[in-house]
Amino acid sequence: MADTDGDGGSDAPASLLSEIRRRRKDARSVRHAYWLPLILFGLVIGASAPFYVLPPFGPGHPVVWTSAASLPALAPLLGQNSTALTIYWLIAIGAGPYVTWLWYLRHGRQVGLMTPARGFVIAGVVVGLLCLVLPAFQLVPGDLMVRGTLPFLIVAAGLWVLAWAERSAGLAVVAAVFTGAALLASLYNVENVLFRLGWHPTIADMRFSTLPNILLPALVLLASGAGAYLVQRRRQVAS
Amino acid sequence: MTAAAHPTNGLDETVHQRHRLGILTIAAEAESADFGYLRDALDLTPGNLSRHLTVLEDAGLVQVSKGYEGRRPRTWVKITGEGRAALTAEIAALTELVRRHDGAAPA
Repeated sequence: MADTDGDGGSDAPASLLSEIRRRRKDARSVRHAYWLPLILFGLVIGASAPFYVLPPFGPGHPVVWTSAASLPALAPLLGQNSTALTIYWLIAIGAGPYVTWLWYLRHGRQVGLMTPARGFVIAGVVVGLLCLVLPAFQLVPGDLMVRGTLPFLIVAAGLWVLAWAERSAGLAVVAAVFTGAALLASLYNVENVLFRLGWHPTIADMRFSTLPNILLPALVLLASGAGAYLVQRRRQVAS
Repeated sequence: MTAAAHPTNGLDETVHQRHRLGILTIAAEAESADFGYLRDALDLTPGNLSRHLTVLEDAGLVQVSKGYEGRRPRTWVKITGEGRAALTAEIAALTELVRRHDGAAPA
C-alpha cells in the first residue's frame, strides 16, 4: 500500500491535493490562448458590417431589397440579405474554426501543452451545419434570423465549446456576455438605444442604422480579446 | 470501520508518488504534454522524468510518442483513459483522507 503516513511533508494528502490544484491551475494558465480567436471573430463580425448597410432609400431611391435567391438553400441563414453576405459567412464559418485550430496547434507546440482544439473544430462544423439546415426546416425561431445575424449565435456557440476545451472560466464569462450581445443584435434594433441617446440620423444616413447591431457584438469580442491578450501576455512574462 | 472501506485502499503506489501524480495531473489538463514542459514544471532531471514515464507507460496510464519538429526531437506524453480513471480515484482517496483527518481533529 502506498505510504500515506507523511510527517506533514510533501507526501501528506493535503499537501498533494494542494499541489494537484496548483499544477492544474498552472497548466490551464499556460494553455490559455483564446485572445486570438476573440480578436479574429471580432474582426470577422466587424468586417461583415458593410454587407448589412441597407440600400439607399428615400426620395429618388426606390426601396430595393436584395435577396439570397441565387443561393436559396442558404437564404434562411441570413434572412433578407445579400448573396455576398451569405458567401461571406459561409467562408467565415468554415475558415474561422480552421484558423483557430491552427493557432492552438502553434501555441501548443510553443508552450509544450496541446489544447484539445480538434473538438472545437468538429463542434464548430456541426453547429454551423445545424444552423444552415435547421432554418430550412423552420426549426429556428424566425425572430433569430430576421436581421441576418444568426452567424453571431454560431460564433457564440463556438466560444462556449472553446471555453470548455480551454477549461477557462474567463472565456466562459466572455462567451456569456457575447451570447447576450448576439441575442440582443438578433432580437432588437440596437439603434433604438442610440436614438434615445440623441442620435438623429438624416433619412440618407438611415441606411446605416443597422450597424449598431453588428458593431456591438464585434466590439464585445475585440475588447475581450484585447483584455485577454494583455492578461495572457503578463502571465507569460511573469512565468 | 472496516479496513476495506479505508480510503488508503484507494491509493495506488504507481500514481501516489508525487512526481508521477504531477505528470498525470498535467497530462490530464492537455491533449498531450511535452517532455520539456513536464521536466521544467516538475523540476526533474531528464533521466528522472524518463524513469517515471516508463513506470506510468508500463502501467498503461500514459502513452509516450517521440517525433521530430523540423530537426528538433520532441517527446509528447498523453494520458490514457485508464490514467484518467486512476488520477480521479487518487484524488477521491486523497480528498476522503483529508476529510477524515479534518473530521477527527479536535475542535
